[in-house]
Amino acid sequence: MANLKELRGRIKSVAGIAQITRAMEMVASMKLRKVQAKAMSFHPYTEELRGVIERLAAKVGEPSGSPWFRVTPPKTTGVLLITSDRGLCGSYNANMFKAMQALAAEVRAVDPDRKLKFWCYGRKGYSWLVRRGYEVERFFVEPALDKLDFRAAKMVVDELSKAFLEGRVDNIRVYHTRFQSMIRFEPASPRFLPVMNRDFVTVEANRAAQEAASALPDLDYLVEPDPAVVFEALLPRYLETVVYDAMLQSVASEHASRRMAMKSATDAAVRMNKGLKKIYNRARQENITKELLDIVGGASAVS
Amino acid sequence: MAAELHLRIVTPDRVIVDRKVAAVSFQGVDGSYGILPHHAPLMTAISAAGSARITELDGSKVELFVSDGFAQMHHNVLTLVCEAGEMAHEIDLARVKAAEAKAREKLAHLDKLSEEFLKAEASLRKALAREMLVRRGSGTGDIA
Repeated sequence: MANLKELRGRIKSVAGIAQITRAMEMVASMKLRKVQAKAMSFHPYTEELRGVIERLAAKVGEPSGSPWFRVTPPKTTGVLLITSDRGLCGSYNANMFKAMQALAAEVRAVDPDRKLKFWCYGRKGYSWLVRRGYEVERFFVEPALDKLDFRAAKMVVDELSKAFLEGRVDNIRVYHTRFQSMIRFEPASPRFLPVMNRDFVTVEANRAAQEAASALPDLDYLVEPDPAVVFEALLPRYLETVVYDAMLQSVASEHASRRMAMKSATDAAVRMNKGLKKIYNRARQENITKELLDIVGGASAVS
Repeated sequence: MAAELHLRIVTPDRVIVDRKVAAVSFQGVDGSYGILPHHAPLMTAISAAGSARITELDGSKVELFVSDGFAQMHHNVLTLVCEAGEMAHEIDLARVKAAEAKAREKLAHLDKLSEEFLKAEASLRKALAREMLVRRGSGTGDIA
């Protein structure tokens, strides 16, 4: 009997877990949809801005005097690490940490004197770094990743570019998760600063080909006050879109990853529940049979 | 119907305007621009806190707030890419007032050379530009 009671308890708790994970799965898919909508409405802005900056880059050439393009021998590498605030999202954060470890190992192998400085978005990444004794320049908490907006990206870019322009770091990478599809997302670490002209060239080449094909010729622009000034003013805007895009992709990946993890947890719980019910029913049946046998045995002994 | 040009106003959050209009004027960093259909290709920076006025095809006028961005005229398409943009009727006056008060308070006791001072000044400018738009209502008065 004790066994039956125990089984009943377990069945109940597994069913409870399945309910919770199913709810989390649904919440995650809803949030994912929201982030995707945000990314969609952001898309035109990025497109336009990239278009403008590519045309200008072609015109300005490599501006040797511009501090944004300054390449110096790397002594301190800055890293913007984007992770999640909450756990229970499968291997989303773990994959990022693996990439971080690879980076640390690589830096140590190439040049032991080179230092790493971190900027963090997402609590998980922050606590991971602190636990391992890394130097975290700044941990961004406001606005929370759930309420992410363009101003957050602006703030991060402000901070990063200040560090770069003041020479506190001489190159910066963004470690984020690239969202490829609902079931595929992987860590990526694009170079953020210094800006290089080839960032704009590949797409420019495509565009040039496109424009050659279209009937309208690409006319010469009047650029006021002058190309270099506009370009210089445009670069921070461009960097903001890069960071915002990285953030949106990371958050989308987080939700997609959590959705998947919760889905498999729900499935596992349902399967387990089925198995437990089978065991429970068999035990119950056995008990009844045993009791019947007892009764029959008792009755025949009396008569 | 007279000549028309296609106007797109794009911000990080949404595309505010995407339609044919008769004319547009806005403030660039080095002065006011008035763009008529088939303007020569042009690229310029928009002032940090300004307004744009759209003349619709039927002659009516609409005003909106735009800030921190770029204007590009290309193949009769004028694109304003800006960080913030609101139609005049969307502006929440109470919030703008609050922003103005906050900026003024900051300006009162900040070092005039500090970066925060400049930031506060910029946000005050934006608040004032928004207020002016609301005050004026859509489609009346001149762009100062």
